[in-house]
Amino acid sequence: MGSELYAYGLLAFPLLSATFIAFFFRRSGAVASGISVGAAALILATALHIIFRLENFEYNVSWIEIANFNVEFGFLINDLTKLMLFVVAFVGFLVHVFSLGYMKDDPNKARFFGGLSIFMFSMLGLVLASSLVTLFIFWELVGFSSYMLIGYYLDKPSAAAASKKAFIVNRVGDFGFLIGIVMVFSAFGTLNLSELSHSEAATTTLIGLLLFCGTVGKSGQLPLHVWLPDAMEGPTPVSALIHAATMVAAGVFLLCRTGFLMTADALNVILWVGVATALVAGFTAIAQRDIKKILAYSTVSQLGYMVAAFGLGSLVALGNGDSHGDAIVTGGVAAAMFHLTTHAFFKALLFLGSGSIIHACHHEQDIFRMGGLAKKMPITFWTFTAGLLALIGTPFITAGFHSKDAILALAYEQNTLAFYCLVLGAILTAFYMVRLWKIAFLGSPKSENAEHASENGLVMTVPLILLAVGSILGGFVWFYPEALRPIIALGEELNHGDSHTTVMIYSIVAWVVGLGAAWVFYGAGAADDKLESVAKPLHAVLAEKFYFDRIYDWYVAKVQQRVAVAIHFTEQIALSVLIIRGMAGFAGLIGIGLRSLHVGSIHSYVYWFIGGLALFWALAVGLF
Amino acid sequence: MNDFASLVQYSIAAPLVIAFLTLFVRNWGRPAIQIVSVTGFALPLIFALFLWGLYDPSTPGGYAFVSKMDTGLSMIGVSLHLGLNGVSLPLFVMASVVGLAAGLYAAQSKAENVHRYLFCLLVMQSGLMGVFASIDIFFFYFFHELALIPTFVMVGVWGGRDRSYAAMKMTIYLTLGAMLSLVGLILIYVKSGAESFDLIELKAHLAAAPLADSIQNYAFGLLLFGFGILVSLWPLHTWAPLGYGAAPSSAAMLHAGVLKKFGLYGLIQVAIPLLPDGIGQWENWIVWLALGNVLVIGFVAMAQRDLKQMIGYSSVMHMGYAFLGIAAMSVLGVGGVVIMMVAHGLTVALLFLLSTMIHHRTQTFEMDEMGGLAKKAPVLSAFFVCAMMASIGLPGPGLANFWGELSIFLAVYDFRSGLIYAIVLGIVISAIYGLRAIAKVFFGEETDEFKESQKEVPVTDMTWAERVPALILIIALFFIGFFPKTVTNSLNDSLNSEPVYAQTEN
Repeated sequence: MGSELYAYGLLAFPLLSATFIAFFFRRSGAVASGISVGAAALILATALHIIFRLENFEYNVSWIEIANFNVEFGFLINDLTKLMLFVVAFVGFLVHVFSLGYMKDDPNKARFFGGLSIFMFSMLGLVLASSLVTLFIFWELVGFSSYMLIGYYLDKPSAAAASKKAFIVNRVGDFGFLIGIVMVFSAFGTLNLSELSHSEAATTTLIGLLLFCGTVGKSGQLPLHVWLPDAMEGPTPVSALIHAATMVAAGVFLLCRTGFLMTADALNVILWVGVATALVAGFTAIAQRDIKKILAYSTVSQLGYMVAAFGLGSLVALGNGDSHGDAIVTGGVAAAMFHLTTHAFFKALLFLGSGSIIHACHHEQDIFRMGGLAKKMPITFWTFTAGLLALIGTPFITAGFHSKDAILALAYEQNTLAFYCLVLGAILTAFYMVRLWKIAFLGSPKSENAEHASENGLVMTVPLILLAVGSILGGFVWFYPEALRPIIALGEELNHGDSHTTVMIYSIVAWVVGLGAAWVFYGAGAADDKLESVAKPLHAVLAEKFYFDRIYDWYVAKVQQRVAVAIHFTEQIALSVLIIRGMAGFAGLIGIGLRSLHVGSIHSYVYWFIGGLALFWALAVGLF
Repeated sequence: MNDFASLVQYSIAAPLVIAFLTLFVRNWGRPAIQIVSVTGFALPLIFALFLWGLYDPSTPGGYAFVSKMDTGLSMIGVSLHLGLNGVSLPLFVMASVVGLAAGLYAAQSKAENVHRYLFCLLVMQSGLMGVFASIDIFFFYFFHELALIPTFVMVGVWGGRDRSYAAMKMTIYLTLGAMLSLVGLILIYVKSGAESFDLIELKAHLAAAPLADSIQNYAFGLLLFGFGILVSLWPLHTWAPLGYGAAPSSAAMLHAGVLKKFGLYGLIQVAIPLLPDGIGQWENWIVWLALGNVLVIGFVAMAQRDLKQMIGYSSVMHMGYAFLGIAAMSVLGVGGVVIMMVAHGLTVALLFLLSTMIHHRTQTFEMDEMGGLAKKAPVLSAFFVCAMMASIGLPGPGLANFWGELSIFLAVYDFRSGLIYAIVLGIVISAIYGLRAIAKVFFGEETDEFKESQKEVPVTDMTWAERVPALILIIALFFIGFFPKTVTNSLNDSLNSEPVYAQTEN
């Protein structure tokens, strides 16, 4: 049996699931959730088969051909694909299972599970795609499924606004991405990824940056990060799967797939966009009250790390003269993918944990109205803590420590300023996470809902436990099976460079400082944000998210919409009055006179109009 | 292959004959009228699909299923010469698909004198099938008029708000456009000296003895602006949103979906091949006006409050892509335009169809007065989201639209690279107005106006009778999107055999 059949299977299961749900089980949520979870299980099994049993392979079949433009539908399975496939299938399955509990009482859960299946289909297609066009097609489809799921709570105006914002902001990024694809085709004559990687033609900085636009949109990099925190309007499992572990990381995956199209200048821009994103989002997270918003900004910040890692490592590779070509994996790809993998574990865990809390607290999301949850929800508490320790890079024993250190090590060698920025980012991470933890879990309950919270059932806690294991052990190469090791090992190796002791010291100091500061500063189970009373102006800036949203809202409402209305108005006036009537009037002046303009007979209008147009035409061809 | 040429004739004749039959059976009750008229729309589709299946992509250079009939006008070089090539076949099939969907929906409408309405629609359908099957330029034009006149009648008689003004404006503009292009076609006929309206003969004649540059220039200008008005080239588009806003839905579906493509088709199959040197002078005109379509109309679409007008403007905007693809003058660009024409025809018909269904539920086209419809009509909202996503070129439902747009983008980049930024901006603009419409109509809370109207007209979800025509269009869209080679194989061959497109290929 051909290897490609398994890849087709990966796409077929979720697609069939979504189709069945849409056509037959729209009203029976129980059946729909069963089908969807079953499909996720089959996906996991098939993915594991591809990872462990099959060699790397490429498969292409011609899809469309016009003149010299042809696109192949196909699969490119290499080490990078396998690692990403593992993340998507594994986290995807756990989130499906968790959703069984989380969405149990939701009347529209068929739509939810159908949406999850469409997402899995799109995401797997994106990971497997062998050509930039197929990748772009699935890239748009994950955007669409994300749009549907963010807007899941139909009657909430905020959800409708957030889903619209997510889609449009992503399209702004795709604007650049698509132009990049057009330019790649023009320069290389192909869009097949492996043909591109072997091509002799030269890339340009512009191409690199245009492709990176796609990443900026999808992975929430500055200045297009604004959609991601708003996307938290969707159900929490969606936030965990799509807006933390997989889809938002697709931008990083895209960079790794197309690394050979980058130039040093492009990489420098990428690097600094990543660093700036890590810092801005880290600061913003400090002043948020909504547990999911804090985690969302944390995601943005961590994605900044991955993007910076890619930029740094690829610069090193370019400096060494390593060709990207066949080998594909450079230090940048390895460090970015290593962090992407560990991040998928611990951030999915943190989101599912927050989902568990929100479910238990009857949809209370304000951390200052929680408090004392540690005793009421022990499993959630301990697993959440494991994820948190990983995120803040607790030395030696967590996954986040190892993957973050790999990035810091790269920065230390390549760019000192970026290194210090990223260390500062690490301090911020520890600070805002410990703030969340201490306020939500410790102390005493601050609201009725928190008072009555209790631990959720196994279907929700088992996925938490499994992800917690990954969050702790995911930093060690031996944790991964042989087939997944190549990239992870290369990433982990970065930690063993000459400077590894120095980097580690910085990293541990950052951890201690961030954790200690937050521990001292915030009271257990506090009801108010102390930062607001201590440093009001600073808090205002951070709580307003550096005014990005304000500026965009102002632009949309006051500039874009007004310009649209103004153009519409001008056009109506100009076209119907000035040009058309004016031209008729001109002809009328010469011939019959202006008054007869208003006789209202179709015939005369037609003649004047012809006269005006003939004049227009005569002018155009230059008779006058 | 010419064995099946009669099927081409039948697919033009069947709707016309059945149109008169509907008038005969008008007293036999509603079901009889419905069955008879729907048959009139179904037959062309069956024939067209059959022909599509039989078409051999390697038909050398020319047309398949060719038939020639003397109509008594042979002294001026006119005969009913029918046939299909790789460019016309996809449009021929698309016309029949949209026709059936429009017909199915019209047959269940509650319009007064529904048999007359169906009569007009069937005559229109016959004209549409004829347009894309004509090799003779005279009949190409004749069939266009055959389809156009019933449109005016339908808008004027069965139209909505402002119908008489809209009908008048549409008549003025479209008649004018048609007249200008007729003058251009006659100019070619007279100056070529071929004494024939036959496209193949004209082409051969002009290839041997091309027209003088100045004649080509004038003739092309006439055809460009004549066809341009019909395709709503900016700034000659104002009839379109107004007309579609007022037109009854089936007429809007057929006009915006199919008949409007006449102008583009005329440029691709007639104007450019016959006047290969004519376009050079007009290139800048096409580019700038088409940019007006994409950018100016894009913004105008964002400002619309009326759902149907917004769809009308979005359709005008997409025509800008088509003009740019044609201006690129390559197999890729023109091929992309043909795919886009097919995809756009299906999509815009679907959008007009669904917007009428929305109107039946909300009693208004004002988007500010809608809201929250998704809860009451989830299936309708799924269909509409699907249609809107197709319209904005999202791969998936809009995979076919995406193929068309991407090919055009690639061709335009080779043609004038700087344009790429302006036209790809269209994908952001269309997302803005498209999603705005979805959010306003379906999401959020119900507006007071909507609650008020529900007291009089309770809202139900889509019935099966409504779903079938929409499903036909969606299935066609998906099919073209997932199996684009069914179109592109024959398209490539036909365009490559056209020297004017093939020569610019690298």
